Amino acid sequence: MLKVVEVEKTFDRFMAVNRANLEVGTGEIVAVIGPNGAGKSTLFKLIAGHLKPDSGRVVFRGENVAGLAPYRICRKGISLSFQVVNIFHRLTVFENVQVAVLARQKRSFNLFTRARTLAIEETLDLLATLGLSDVAHQVSASLSHGDQKLLEMAIALGNRPELLILDEPTAGMSPEETSTTMELIVRLNAEMGQTILFCEHDMELVFAIANRIMVMQQGVSIMQGSPDEVRDCKAVQDAYLGGSR
Amino acid sequence: MSQEPTPWKSIVVGTAVLVGLVCCPWFLSRFYVYLVALILVTGLLATSLNMVLGLGGMFQFHHAVFYGMGAYTFALMLTKSGLPSWCAFVAAPICAALLGLAIGVICVRTTKLYFGMIQLSLGSLVWALVFRWYSFTGGDDGIHGVPVPSFVASGKGSFYFTLVVCGICLFVMHRIVQSPFGRVFQGIRDNSERSEGIGIDVRRHQLVGELIATFFAGVAGVLFVVVEGSVFPELMNWHLSLEILIMCLLGGWFTFLGPMLGAAIIVVLRTVVGVYTEYWTSFLAIILMLLIFFLPEGVLGYFLRAPKSRDGRARPEAE
Amino acid sequence: MESGSYITMTSLFHQVLVGLSRTTILFIVSSGLSLVLGVLRIPNVAHGSLYMIGAFLACSVASWVGGAAGFWVALVLAPLGVALSSLVVERVLFCRLYEREHLMLLLFTFAFMLLCKDLVKLIWGAEWRSLSAPIVLQGSFSIGGLPLPRFNLFLLVIGPLVALGLWLLTNRTKIGKIARAAALDREMVSAVGINVSWVYAAVFVIGCGLAGLGGALVAPTQNITQGMDNTIIMEAFLIVIIGGLGNIWGALLGALIFGLTDSIGVLVWPQFAIVFPYLAAVIVLLFRPKGLLKATW
Repeated sequence: MLKVVEVEKTFDRFMAVNRANLEVGTGEIVAVIGPNGAGKSTLFKLIAGHLKPDSGRVVFRGENVAGLAPYRICRKGISLSFQVVNIFHRLTVFENVQVAVLARQKRSFNLFTRARTLAIEETLDLLATLGLSDVAHQVSASLSHGDQKLLEMAIALGNRPELLILDEPTAGMSPEETSTTMELIVRLNAEMGQTILFCEHDMELVFAIANRIMVMQQGVSIMQGSPDEVRDCKAVQDAYLGGSR
Repeated sequence: MSQEPTPWKSIVVGTAVLVGLVCCPWFLSRFYVYLVALILVTGLLATSLNMVLGLGGMFQFHHAVFYGMGAYTFALMLTKSGLPSWCAFVAAPICAALLGLAIGVICVRTTKLYFGMIQLSLGSLVWALVFRWYSFTGGDDGIHGVPVPSFVASGKGSFYFTLVVCGICLFVMHRIVQSPFGRVFQGIRDNSERSEGIGIDVRRHQLVGELIATFFAGVAGVLFVVVEGSVFPELMNWHLSLEILIMCLLGGWFTFLGPMLGAAIIVVLRTVVGVYTEYWTSFLAIILMLLIFFLPEGVLGYFLRAPKSRDGRARPEAE
Repeated sequence: MESGSYITMTSLFHQVLVGLSRTTILFIVSSGLSLVLGVLRIPNVAHGSLYMIGAFLACSVASWVGGAAGFWVALVLAPLGVALSSLVVERVLFCRLYEREHLMLLLFTFAFMLLCKDLVKLIWGAEWRSLSAPIVLQGSFSIGGLPLPRFNLFLLVIGPLVALGLWLLTNRTKIGKIARAAALDREMVSAVGINVSWVYAAVFVIGCGLAGLGGALVAPTQNITQGMDNTIIMEAFLIVIIGGLGNIWGALLGALIFGLTDSIGVLVWPQFAIVFPYLAAVIVLLFRPKGLLKATW
């Protein structure tokens, strides 16, 4: 479904991403791992269009989307959930997700219908899937950090993307919240066939749920393969797996 | 959606205000009727600004240009073109909206302070043209004694016309705020990067917002001429633009009726305090400073938020 | 309405010189604003009021001192007075607002502008003031038959001097370098242990002092009126924006554009002369929305 080919990105002489390669097949869960500063977030932003690659291609379903505006890429089916919580802080939880749903339904220029009568079921379903139903009418800025991360994901899901990209979905969460979130990811993939690309620091979880793993270090893709292949690879062990996070 | 209790307080207060407004020509003197009409016009202008400021988070620093454009178009069409008056009523807001589109297209390429400053420069250009084009616009004298149609020429006529038009405009704007566009626009205000990420063409939405806001500013301009009977370049001055910003801040720019309240406060201040001292602007200035220090959400915003400030439950559906 | 009358090379040259002396005033005022806006990120609408206060103050000081020395003393004391009062205001009020949103700062300074207006009305009343240049600077040269006041020549000399002084200040002194660093990254600078607060105060005071200086310099060339602040502030903002926020050379470039388009406009189409600078600003912003030279943010 997604093929990232030799993508590069430089910020003022600092090469954040240096010839990254990645492949994601339909229905897979693919994880990107690497130490802090490896360029994972940058790579994700490059795929979703929030940054433009200096060179290389991002091929999504056969089409090169590198350099397109983020909203165009989103309409093609890619949705990114950010590492740093990036929600609509003055809107309620319900409204946060509803905006994404309305955008997908191409209703964002509708000037006259009462918004609170639209897309109710779909939004509530989504909130229920993520366990946010009981805070649906709370202003999102007042949520706990864990709930905000879930909301982050809910907004991305509101687009019903073909490819869901999650940038450190469990960062800052408690152990319980982390395992709930991971179960959720597995469920989304198993029950709804959602293709997921994510990055994480907790190796146990990554190895438990990912179909394939790509390893990055200092902006370069070292290798990509199944969990076993990655575990056995000497280069990866030297670079990264020596000490656990 | 959740069950909301019927907002009896709002309904009662709202009806009382409405009845008071409809009846006021009967018990207020001519001057006060004129004052109320002026408050309505200024309130409409401030609300139109808030369509992009509070709703969309856009730094609309020179909104007065569109107000003046509406007023001048209306006045010029009535005095110079031979066309029937309904043409002037229709053309004025449309011209204001077109100017809004033209300036908007250039401004939305940037954000925040740059957006505001570019708008200030473009608006100042328009002002300078109007100010100096004596033969066409009357220059710094303006145009006086505009021949408004007879049904709005009297004090009562202009008042009721203003009341009705304001009411309709506020209703329409309120619907827009509650529409999907309104929600999405608020999302853009809160987080435009995220909005881009969920498939929203932010610039296009901002342009639509500009169109709406400037259209209604144009309507307010028309109403000003109806009430006042003249136009002058001060209507397009950046001074007025900042005053309108203050009205929105004062009343509360995250509420719908806040700007109206802010406009009322300032117009009343100017008239009442202005009677006692020629330094009423200092009075306003001090209030503004106190506001910025202590009440950044404005008067209405503070009152709406205060009882629920701790538990972070949903805001009341005043939006 | 008539278009430009017979334009000769001499009249063009003469107008250019007039425009350049206007550039000096514009540059001095705008560079102050550029510092405040570029480093402190305060869109100080009251900057024009400080200019006006500088002019009024210069008139008063000159008439109080009297005689030939009056102007020179005023040239020193007026900007100083403006600078000192702005220091007080900064320490009491502005320093608490640096973290606020731009819009709030804009409105706050607008409130200040209103206060300054009334202050001027209170202290100096509503009449015009005027100040004569010292004898040595009175009179005019003749440029091909057209008179060029000596004072304008004085301004032509002062302008580059101030520019040079500012450049030395921002690039060669320690405080200048700190200020430039603070403009780019506040937290970093305070993390390194420098007392950013006083640096900010210094920048603010210098910026305001420049406004006062501009006012004192303009005083002999025109009548000092109440509306001075309105016109100068819009011009100063546009100059700063088209030059690039926080960039001193940008302010100079912008002031040149403004001064020259205005004076040539007077020659070409007198009725719409004031439109030319705004038009120039619009054209620049169409192609370079962030200004011609590098901005600090």
